[in-house]
Amino acid sequence: MSKKPTAGPALHKVIMVGSGGVGKSALTLQFMYDEFVEDYEPTKADSYRKKVRACTLTPKTLGSATQCCTPSLQVVLDGEEVQIDILDTAGQEDYAAIRDNYFRSGEGFLCVFSITDDESFQATQEFREQILRVKNDESIPFLLVGNKCDLNDKRKVPLSECQLRAQQWSVPYVETSAKTRENVDKVFFDLMREIRSRKTEDSKATSGRAKDRCKKRRLKCTLL
Amino acid sequence: MAPQPVVTGLSPKEGPPGTRVIIRGEFLGTRIQDLIGLKICGSDCLLSAEWKSPNKIIARSGPAKGKGDIIVTTLSGGVGTSTVQFRAYHETIGPLKESAVWIEESPSQNFAWGRRTLAQSGLTQEDPLGLSIEGNEQKIPEDLRDLIPDACGDLSQENFSPAWFLLENHLATSFEDLKAGLAYLKRKVESQKEGQLSFLKSNAGSVIDQLDTLMNIRDKLQEDVKLHGSEPLNILEQSIENSISESQKIFTDVLVRKEKADSTRSVLLALSRHKFLFCLPNAVDRRAKAAEYDIVVNDYSRAKNLFGKTEIQIFRQVLEEVDQRILLIRRQLHEKVVKMPQSVEQQKKLIKALTSLELQQSGTTIGDRLRNTDPAWDAIEARAKYLEATFRQTFEQYANKEAGVQEKSKSRDPSQPPSRVNFCEELCDIAASQLPDLWRLGQLYFTGELRGPHDPKPGDFKRMVLNAIEKFCVYLRVAILIAADQRALRQTSGLSWPIGSSSATHHFLPWVPQCLRYTRIAYATLIGLDLPSEALDIIQRLIDEVRLFCFSIIFKRATDRCKKLDSLETWEMCVEEYPGATSLPAALESLLVETLDEVQSVCMQPEAREGNLLEPHSDGQREVTQRLQELLSAFSGVIAELAFASHDDETPTHNVSQLLGFPNAQQPESVSGAGSSAAAVNWEQRMLCCLANYAYCNKSFFHHLGNRFVRYGYPLPTLAIESARYNVNQLFTNLLEEYVEHKGDPLVGTIEPSMYLGRFQWDHEMEIGAGQLRPYAHECCDNLVGVYSEIYSISPALLRPILESIVQTISEELARLMSCVQRFSHTGAIQAHVDIRLLRDALENYTNETAKNYFLEALEAISPPLNSEQKRKADEILEHVKRNMRLQLLCFAVKEP
Repeated sequence: MSKKPTAGPALHKVIMVGSGGVGKSALTLQFMYDEFVEDYEPTKADSYRKKVRACTLTPKTLGSATQCCTPSLQVVLDGEEVQIDILDTAGQEDYAAIRDNYFRSGEGFLCVFSITDDESFQATQEFREQILRVKNDESIPFLLVGNKCDLNDKRKVPLSECQLRAQQWSVPYVETSAKTRENVDKVFFDLMREIRSRKTEDSKATSGRAKDRCKKRRLKCTLL
Repeated sequence: MAPQPVVTGLSPKEGPPGTRVIIRGEFLGTRIQDLIGLKICGSDCLLSAEWKSPNKIIARSGPAKGKGDIIVTTLSGGVGTSTVQFRAYHETIGPLKESAVWIEESPSQNFAWGRRTLAQSGLTQEDPLGLSIEGNEQKIPEDLRDLIPDACGDLSQENFSPAWFLLENHLATSFEDLKAGLAYLKRKVESQKEGQLSFLKSNAGSVIDQLDTLMNIRDKLQEDVKLHGSEPLNILEQSIENSISESQKIFTDVLVRKEKADSTRSVLLALSRHKFLFCLPNAVDRRAKAAEYDIVVNDYSRAKNLFGKTEIQIFRQVLEEVDQRILLIRRQLHEKVVKMPQSVEQQKKLIKALTSLELQQSGTTIGDRLRNTDPAWDAIEARAKYLEATFRQTFEQYANKEAGVQEKSKSRDPSQPPSRVNFCEELCDIAASQLPDLWRLGQLYFTGELRGPHDPKPGDFKRMVLNAIEKFCVYLRVAILIAADQRALRQTSGLSWPIGSSSATHHFLPWVPQCLRYTRIAYATLIGLDLPSEALDIIQRLIDEVRLFCFSIIFKRATDRCKKLDSLETWEMCVEEYPGATSLPAALESLLVETLDEVQSVCMQPEAREGNLLEPHSDGQREVTQRLQELLSAFSGVIAELAFASHDDETPTHNVSQLLGFPNAQQPESVSGAGSSAAAVNWEQRMLCCLANYAYCNKSFFHHLGNRFVRYGYPLPTLAIESARYNVNQLFTNLLEEYVEHKGDPLVGTIEPSMYLGRFQWDHEMEIGAGQLRPYAHECCDNLVGVYSEIYSISPALLRPILESIVQTISEELARLMSCVQRFSHTGAIQAHVDIRLLRDALENYTNETAKNYFLEALEAISPPLNSEQKRKADEILEHVKRNMRLQLLCFAVKEP
């Protein structure tokens, strides 16, 4: 886009969506700064960006997110320095009107709900629809994230239901805990990986083709 | 050097100025001091920055606009970079729109020039498209803002951009609506065009008028040019400049005058506002003259509080003036404080005023000129000195008066108290009134009420009080205790009361108790003061001395009275327990009781805080003993005087029957009259009475008196009584001898003449058969009976001592007479034998050893000794004689009457 940094690593724009209080900011802050914020302060619109090493690791190590956040411990194969730009949006309905603008610039979405709050799970449907409407792209990088998995005893949304919905949307479903940092890195890295692979696909497709067609082809590919 | 700071996170990422932004990143400073710079969109926000951790800073955005970096600068890492950007925008706030920051809503009204500023939001445009803009408050996508950077949606602005206008106002308007709006706009433009022409047409007249007016203006201008040259503007400018400078002059002139007026007014204002201070010097003086020191103190402290630390020259001057006055006043006050006499209250007031003035003035240069004065202490000293001076003055005054009076006349009204007493009274008054004052002042001083910042001097004060009291006592002692050792007193005190005549002294003595009373009153006042016991002890000693003096005075007086008791002797024998004793001892007793009563009431009864005078081995005891002894010896003297007084003026009646010499006729009546008529008591009887009195005194009366003393609370004056008894005994013996001599001498003297009456010789034979005694023996017997009866009628107890000695002389005389006889006839020997034996037998009860020997000697002197026949004859005759003289002999036979 127009505001892309002139030189340097690739920039991936991630947008956090989800109802208020599900833990979007918590996940972001945990990922960015390894901190867990106890106090709840409704977000309006926060912006984060930092350089990370997105790892294309072997599937075995991929499962362990904790290893990924300490790349210096391990020789990273096929490592590439990238920048992640996280737009932490407001979950509250008050800001629903300005969401469209934000969504437009997003390259990947983390749709977060709280497994202890059924309403937030139901709201993901609307977010999904809004994103698809704005982006007009069925296969936009998208992760369904069930947060607060440390509070499993207060779970309101059954795992099966979540998995079912993810299956319907053909997106991965990951359960995280911003408190324990479980799968926090995983969701961000997974998403970035998807964005990256999507971008490489796009750049391959850009040579003399229109975006629409590319999409079509990509759709086909995925179908394949 | 640490890595440079990087900002990687913002929360939120946009907002109006003043938005609270959480800035996250890395190396944002190691500590709070490390953070030295923070810029958000180019505006410095360090002031509001709140450093939380190396990863987090909270700040508020500045008044910037647009998108920009967040630059954190640290000491350790230098100027940093930012991966995220903050977008600042300005928000217009309506009453219905919420805002994260506070924005002043009420239009600020400025009336500075009396004109109203245009309301900033006064001009609300109607939408040129004639469409509602409600519900269009959508965010314009920022990318678009970047696309048309300088565009503005405001119709009245130069950089108006229709596209931006549409973006701003009709973002949500549907295309159909926009088309309709365009049509509306076109219509409006058309109608405006048409309107212009028709407007001109309809107003042609006024347009022509305007044209005419313009022509007129041109004409006038040309005239002007003619008149003032081609450059009217220059002239105009000139005059305008002139008027400007003129007005400037006037303005400055007015300004100067106004300033003058202002300064005058402010000076007046200051004067009236600080009238208090400026009037203070005079006011202080006036108040001080009126002795209203409270007000002075008040005013001064007020002035000190208000202006004490002022830097203003005029105030300082005035204050200095005031300080000078105050200094003067303090000097005056100090003089007043030490001026006597005055009441304690007054003094207290002055001291307080002085102390507070000094306290307030201390520290200033003027105040330091008069320092180290402790007014309260000075007052105490002055008071003590005054007290002493008053004592001395009073003393001198009275001493001089006394001396003068003595020189002038000796005859004075005896009811008038002597000046010693007056002096005593006045001195006591002074002490009782002034010592408490002194003490109270001292108390006030030591409790700190009057004390300034000085240290108290308790030792000095105590010494002062003791001194004063000692002086007081010395003066009193000099005045009262005339019996004391005046020389010693004079040496120690240097004082002496003029030595008056003895009559004056005598005149003074009865007044001593009065003096004691005065002293005691003063003492009582002083006791009430809670003085130290040392001080009270001094007075107590004086009082004890005076009391003792009183005691001795009273007793001396009693002794004097006792000496005159002889006039009271009535010779009535009314003492039951001791016949023969008269009422004299009773009179003495009553006198003593009276005296004791007086003594008790006057001085012996200890009053508050007085000692017991009668401690063992004390002066009091000694005095009591001595006085009592004096009294009793005086009494003895009185008796003795009574006994011997009549010796000369009354003819001694030798009521002894004498065979030769005086006729015996008058004797019986004088004897009989002795008992009945007191007036006609003869000398012998008096003597006997005195003897009886002596014996009575010796035996029981003095003890009785001793018991009296005990009853009054005195210790038993054994020593005095014993010595008095000894004295009395002596006198008794003397008197007895006198009496015996008086009685016995004539009796014994008659024996010899009577024996040889009628040329009788022992060697003659005589008739003895009748069994008669010789007349001399008869006479002797009769005389003895007479003496016996006389004594018995007065005091039977005296019989034995008197008769014994008489009998002894008789027996001696008989022995002498018998031994002088050369030869006895036969019958004479018998007769003599009978006579002697009869006498011996008759007087057997009153015969002591010596008398017995004498009788024996008398019997043996009869020579030749009787033979048995003679003896038998003598016994026979003796029996006969005894029978005949039965009655006479009976009285001697009574063993103890």
